[in-house]
Amino acid sequence: MDIPYTVHARPDTGLYNAKIGIWLFLASEVMLFGGLFSAYIFLRVGADYPWPVHDLDVTLGFINTVVLIASSVTVLMALACLKLRKFGWYRINMALTVLCAGVFMFNKTLEYKAKFAHYAVKLTDGTLLTGHLPHGYQVKFEGVTELALNVPLKHSAVTADPVGYVMPFIEGTAPKFKTEAGQEITLDTASFAALSAEAVKKAKEEKKGSAAIKLVATAPIKIAAKPSEIFGYTDTTITFRDGTTATGKLTDDKMTLEVDGVDARGVAQSDKSLAFDHRYLGEAWQKAFVDNRDHHIAEFEKHYPTRDKSRSATLQKESLFFKLNSATPPAEGAAHGAAHGAEAHAPAEGHGEAHAHHPTVVLEKKDFTFFSNFTPKLNTYYAIYFTLTGLHGLHVVAGALVLLYFLVFDGKRLRQDPEHLANRVEVGGLFWHFVDLVWIFLFPLLYLL
Amino acid sequence: MADNVEAIQKSIKWYFIIGGLLIVLSGATVGLSYVELPTHSLNILVGMILATIKASMVALIFMHLSHEHSLIYKILAFTVVFAIVLFTLFIFSHEDPLIFPGFYAPVEQQ
Repeated sequence: MDIPYTVHARPDTGLYNAKIGIWLFLASEVMLFGGLFSAYIFLRVGADYPWPVHDLDVTLGFINTVVLIASSVTVLMALACLKLRKFGWYRINMALTVLCAGVFMFNKTLEYKAKFAHYAVKLTDGTLLTGHLPHGYQVKFEGVTELALNVPLKHSAVTADPVGYVMPFIEGTAPKFKTEAGQEITLDTASFAALSAEAVKKAKEEKKGSAAIKLVATAPIKIAAKPSEIFGYTDTTITFRDGTTATGKLTDDKMTLEVDGVDARGVAQSDKSLAFDHRYLGEAWQKAFVDNRDHHIAEFEKHYPTRDKSRSATLQKESLFFKLNSATPPAEGAAHGAAHGAEAHAPAEGHGEAHAHHPTVVLEKKDFTFFSNFTPKLNTYYAIYFTLTGLHGLHVVAGALVLLYFLVFDGKRLRQDPEHLANRVEVGGLFWHFVDLVWIFLFPLLYLL
Repeated sequence: MADNVEAIQKSIKWYFIIGGLLIVLSGATVGLSYVELPTHSLNILVGMILATIKASMVALIFMHLSHEHSLIYKILAFTVVFAIVLFTLFIFSHEDPLIFPGFYAPVEQQ
């Protein structure tokens, strides 16, 4: 059966069917993105932290804006060439459009990758340190000899599963354990199942609520895990996510951070920030920070003498969010110009070699309360940033795939029924312009304002 | 989209003009975002006005809404109404009775 009204207009609507279809779809798409933009407004109005402005890579964002506008023009050109029956130019313009989508997504990948590798650490006094974790971040235990496992008899969300939740964090070869019965085992699925069955049987006989299993290692074990991979730890115990507790000695939970920024906007006395403690960045950086801060405040007073300094979000950011772009503090005297100049040449986030140009500090666990890479976990801005740009990115991919399909697989229709193909391209193009239209709002809202 | 050769060639010229204008306006948006206006809200307002102009250009010229069939305008009228409702919803978070003074009548002192 032929689908009706693919080429000519339906008499009652005055349009070919696909066009009504795409407009109904776009109307619902406006609702989808509208809801998310509405969420953006809610999050921004209710944010209890300085909303990031110009924090993303503006150059990359602008390049992507130009790329999308260019692709919007090329898809229109493709349609026009098709109507003029210039098939060669039609193909070239369609290919250019898909290429633009590829460039857009490539840039997006660079941007996302930098965000995943970049971290923010919140110190106890409210200072936010940004930078990279060259060795990752792990909690390390040594001399662990005892494992206490717990198997609840009733159905429970937390039940001992050492193979999945404990063994992956034990360093070295699989250790041997002694059971309470004196048997020597290596912990694997089969041996744990036998052990657990026996313990459950015993617990039932004794009418207990759960079965406790105690294992003693034949030789001391070393454990290393990311804090997010375990449930918690103290100086002597580590609790895994299956409820298993190991007893040993905490040897290392310090964080090595290559600092590329000190954000003191959350500190009452910015120059007394914990970041400038002698154990961390120290006095020379403190001086550079103060010089940079006072320089920006003086500039602001010069340019906007009547303006309230405390109400300028830009000034707050420029004066209190200090970017560190060298491994050592700028030399005395040159501090003003150097600090200013260094900031102007801030390297793009997360690009490999830049790491060597930042000072490294070793933070003690008691001095920080929270850390995260620049992902939704960090704050609501990054949550809505990833939601909006992620959904938009999916639309770019989908639109490009549709146009690529027309280019590659619709050759027969191009020769036999170009007017039908023109309608298809027009509909695909309408979707493509919509994707461009969403970006027109996303770019200023997330990158600029 | 018009179907005769002359009209198509004329619209091609317009596509390039509008495309160029869009890039220029994007540049202006970036530039203006670095200018410190009296309040940041004003920066946001200017940015959004520019974005709305750009979006209208895309919708009217690129998506051919400047000369479209009436049925499509009827479909889009609903969208516009719902979108406006969505963008004004946040006002309710301002009028929260817990933080909005005067929502309840003040209790008489005894």
